[in-house]
Amino acid sequence: MKGLHNIIEIFVRELHRTLFDEGVLVFFLIVPIIYPVLYSFLYGNEVVREVPTVVVDNCNSQLSREFLRKVDATHDVKIVGHCADMREAVELIHRRKAYGLIYIPREFEKRIIDFQQSTIEVYSDMSGILYYKAVYSSCTDVSLAMNKEIKAQRMPGATEQQISTFQYPIEYKYTPLFNTQSGFATFMIPGILMLVVQQTMLLGVGMLAGDERENRRKGIYFDYLVNKYPIEIITGKSLAYFMFYMLMSVYLCCIVPQLFGLIHIWKWKELLILMISYVAACTFFCITLSFAAHDREVFIILFIFMSVPLIFMSGISWPTCAMPKFWRCFAWLFPSTFGVKGFLKVNNMGVSMPEVFRDIWSLWLQIAGYFTLAYIVCKRTYSKKY
Amino acid sequence: MSRYNAIISGFPMLEVMVRECKRLLARPVYLCTLVFAPIFAFIFFTTLMRDGLPTEIPAGVVDEDNSAVTRKLIRTLDAFQMTKLKHFPNVVEARNEMQRSKIHAFYVIPRYTTQKALSSRQPNLSFYTNATFLIPASLEFRDMKMMSELASGGIGRETLYAKGFTEKQAMGLLQPIKIEMHPIGNPLLNYSVYLCNILLPGVLFLLIMQTTIYAIYVEMKEETSKEWLAVAKGNIHKALLGKLLPYIAINIVMGLFALVLLYGVWDFPLNCNIWNMILAMFLLILAAQSFGVFLCGLVPSIRWALSLATLLGVLSFPISGFSFPLHAFPAAFKALANIFPMRHYFLIYVDQALNGLPIYYSWVNFAALIAFQILPLLLIHRLHKFLLTAKYTH
Repeated sequence: MKGLHNIIEIFVRELHRTLFDEGVLVFFLIVPIIYPVLYSFLYGNEVVREVPTVVVDNCNSQLSREFLRKVDATHDVKIVGHCADMREAVELIHRRKAYGLIYIPREFEKRIIDFQQSTIEVYSDMSGILYYKAVYSSCTDVSLAMNKEIKAQRMPGATEQQISTFQYPIEYKYTPLFNTQSGFATFMIPGILMLVVQQTMLLGVGMLAGDERENRRKGIYFDYLVNKYPIEIITGKSLAYFMFYMLMSVYLCCIVPQLFGLIHIWKWKELLILMISYVAACTFFCITLSFAAHDREVFIILFIFMSVPLIFMSGISWPTCAMPKFWRCFAWLFPSTFGVKGFLKVNNMGVSMPEVFRDIWSLWLQIAGYFTLAYIVCKRTYSKKY
Repeated sequence: MSRYNAIISGFPMLEVMVRECKRLLARPVYLCTLVFAPIFAFIFFTTLMRDGLPTEIPAGVVDEDNSAVTRKLIRTLDAFQMTKLKHFPNVVEARNEMQRSKIHAFYVIPRYTTQKALSSRQPNLSFYTNATFLIPASLEFRDMKMMSELASGGIGRETLYAKGFTEKQAMGLLQPIKIEMHPIGNPLLNYSVYLCNILLPGVLFLLIMQTTIYAIYVEMKEETSKEWLAVAKGNIHKALLGKLLPYIAINIVMGLFALVLLYGVWDFPLNCNIWNMILAMFLLILAAQSFGVFLCGLVPSIRWALSLATLLGVLSFPISGFSFPLHAFPAAFKALANIFPMRHYFLIYVDQALNGLPIYYSWVNFAALIAFQILPLLLIHRLHKFLLTAKYTH
């Protein structure tokens, strides 16, 4: 009974400290609220549209103009200028007036009339892969459509079906699943949402622990932590952080996607179990690390830069299968690796329990591991002078 | 020792530097953020993406037809560099595996495909990708689309050959217009080149800015700022410069290390004189320091200054436009991007290292990086006042 009383006391006092410490609140409240909004706003356009492109049309025939008109009409490319020669066009790319260049050779139409293959050369600026993708896919799609028409003209009297069969003896169909427009926000934001949980908690908890350390150096001890068992301290503290972040999760998982029209096809049961596991794993992970906090601010400069490697470790950007084994195993140390992956599955693909089971199971292994570690360091820290 | 002290005592700035070096060595945190953290990040990113372009990405195939023709098709797809195929008995299982994120794309060949193809009844193949994982999905998409075009082209070509056409004639008939793609500067579409060229300096920028703020405000927090200023004989310029020079020296070594890794060890495209990139890196490092000092002068609180630095540093990545191009951002951010040193560094990298343009194309960006160096001067007296009067508060 005494134990329960102690835990509740630590829980209440720790929560009180959290809520009345301006520095901790910045990380526990303001950052998790603002960052997702900021990023959703940044990536709100999802895809790159109307990439400025210049044209060198040496053929200047009815057919070449038709090609350019059709490319211009696609979503992804916008023709911003016609140049007399390549030198002029390249100069425009260098001056960043354009990111794509379409070159149509002089004998373009003649070759087609002669039943020969005709090549259009397309250049793209490689400062961003999305420029390449936009210019490449537009030109390819237009060329495929025009090929079909050209062939139809060459088969007078043929039926639609005959032409189609000649063009595509085997037809194909492409269906994008889950992120249907290959949107950037849809792929990036869920990862950021989960990373924000772990990183801000780490900074906040590190600040609270650093505060304790600073006070201890001055000889000030927090009375509610004196003469308590380590298990009571860990339970009380972790309950406080856990509760706080479960509330934040409601904002991150339910409100942010709703607000910005991002994909959210999760099912309640899976989302709840995943978030409980993830937030719990983060809590013990942060408590374990927090014992290294020498002062209030040190975690800010030690761990913020890690956000970028952590996003990559989760495998949303660079595929896990192409990572060296060492980094793949290294990533298992961090709850965010499984949290991000699990959340992508639950939120973006609406999976059921069996598909996300492995991630949740891994998070529980982390909970067990970090709880043990937290217990060990806590025992050492609080047994000395408390 | 006394002789040594006598020598430096005439130069307050030197004295501050010596004092700072001692402080620097006394705390492991400086060693971590100045040396270990950048080295970790540099090695992490470059080795993580050492393949440049992911190969052998697992993809699924559902072959309900299972004839000699479809098996040949599958072998062709499997032979593509990107793809490693895994067989599934039906679409449901392939989709489940996709939801488990074990595969990011799958190909479906329905029953009677061969039969229909041979009797000109246009069978339908289909493929599915999951762009929740954008990079592998788009690579798989490219392979699968090419393979589908080949499947049709193959049959069409065979038909024409049988009718006595030459290969050249056949291609002219089947694919009158052909697109030839030329990626400028990065012909292999190496992702590592894209990402590492900005991730490395970006992490460095963030760490430098934060460490600068921490180093300055820790004096206020521990109430040693008056002593620090006293060593510099009350001259804030000498005090700051003396304090920051040891950091700048270490930062520059780290910056050079990043450049050596990128252009020396990993052989990323470097189409300009290496000195242009060294200059850009040098100015970026100084800009990070300047931003740090500027933020210290802006808000007299270590916490708020660090929070602002974090915001600036973390936003530097997307706003430099290296992954999602800037021109697709909301208009407000396009203008805002100009105040981020990383944006200018990125543009210099694109023009110089990637595209190898003459240096005058980048003069605006170099000028901007130089202009950032004025920032500390704007608020230096305010900072002086903070250091003398302000108290550290929670």
